Amino acid sequence: MSRSLLAALAVAGLAASGCAGKVSTYRWGNYDEALYAHYKSPQNRQAYVASLKTIILAAQREGKTVPPGIYAEYGYALYEEGNAPEAIRYFERERDTWPESRVFMEKMIGNARRLPPPPPAAPASELEKARPS
Amino acid sequence: MRRLLLVLLAGSAVLSGCATVPSGASYEKFVAANPRSILIVPVANKSVDVDAPAYFLSTLPVPVAERGYYVFPVNAVKRVLEDDGLSDAFLVHQADPMRLASLFGADAVLYVTIERWDAQYMLISTSVTVEFDYVMKDGKTGDTIWTNHQKLTYAPSSGGGGGLGSIIAAVVSAAIEKASPSYMPLARQANDAAVEFPGPGFPAGPYRAEYRRDLAPAPGAKPEK
Repeated sequence: MSRSLLAALAVAGLAASGCAGKVSTYRWGNYDEALYAHYKSPQNRQAYVASLKTIILAAQREGKTVPPGIYAEYGYALYEEGNAPEAIRYFERERDTWPESRVFMEKMIGNARRLPPPPPAAPASELEKARPS
Repeated sequence: MRRLLLVLLAGSAVLSGCATVPSGASYEKFVAANPRSILIVPVANKSVDVDAPAYFLSTLPVPVAERGYYVFPVNAVKRVLEDDGLSDAFLVHQADPMRLASLFGADAVLYVTIERWDAQYMLISTSVTVEFDYVMKDGKTGDTIWTNHQKLTYAPSSGGGGGLGSIIAAVVSAAIEKASPSYMPLARQANDAAVEFPGPGFPAGPYRAEYRRDLAPAPGAKPEK
């Protein structure tokens, strides 16, 4: 009987721990769900962009490192909207936080510099205006 | 009873995606490549579901970055490749990995292919199957430095013979599953199992504390029992 009790405890333990390695280094917020939702309904882009901004603000508020790629994704959203100055600001943040991104970010900064003047504001640019940082 | 418990134990180990047996894989090439950054390129698709590759792409950056590597922004990478005329993921996968890596300044490139992403509809159950092939290549040499393959099937249990009530419950859940098969939890589970280390995954990167300290002694150098 004690053997089956032990085995049952082992089952419970495995289930509860889900094994090691589940502790997150970064605070991702709902990044993967938001990206999935964006791919599922591309017209609903605003929620994805807002989620990127939320991750950045949360990390800054808590003094944590913004997860790899998030500044760049946000910068890319601004770039898509034609907001070159803000896009460059976030590409630079990615580059300065993650030296591994330098080559790609320098390219994106170059691309952003070649953008024509911005069209009327779109979601990410609106977020920037609402929260100057 | 004891046999049942063993089965339960085995089952729970599988469910938790927990590998307790070292795969015996050699990490020589991976360690020699010593990547700091991983470029996850768009997912190639061999299933019939045209939406699957984009959906699946969204599940990849978090588990790979959590292994301690810089992961390039997958959506920006996808869009930039599309702008460069590489909107077909198979073309990206066939391109020279060294050229691709140098384009982004990446140390390694991760190629993931969907082999299966489908559902089998039956009267009282719908089973969902996903199958993925993972290949990582060194950006400097183009050599393959890590591979893994995952196939997972989710089949809701029939309720264990609980009479009419459980059959009705099963039919209801099958109908829900049929309307919207839940691929995403299964896909995330496959990724977690693929990158698990020790296990089939790869050693930790520079942004994890166990970087360069998590490699088991070489095969054959294990302590005697």
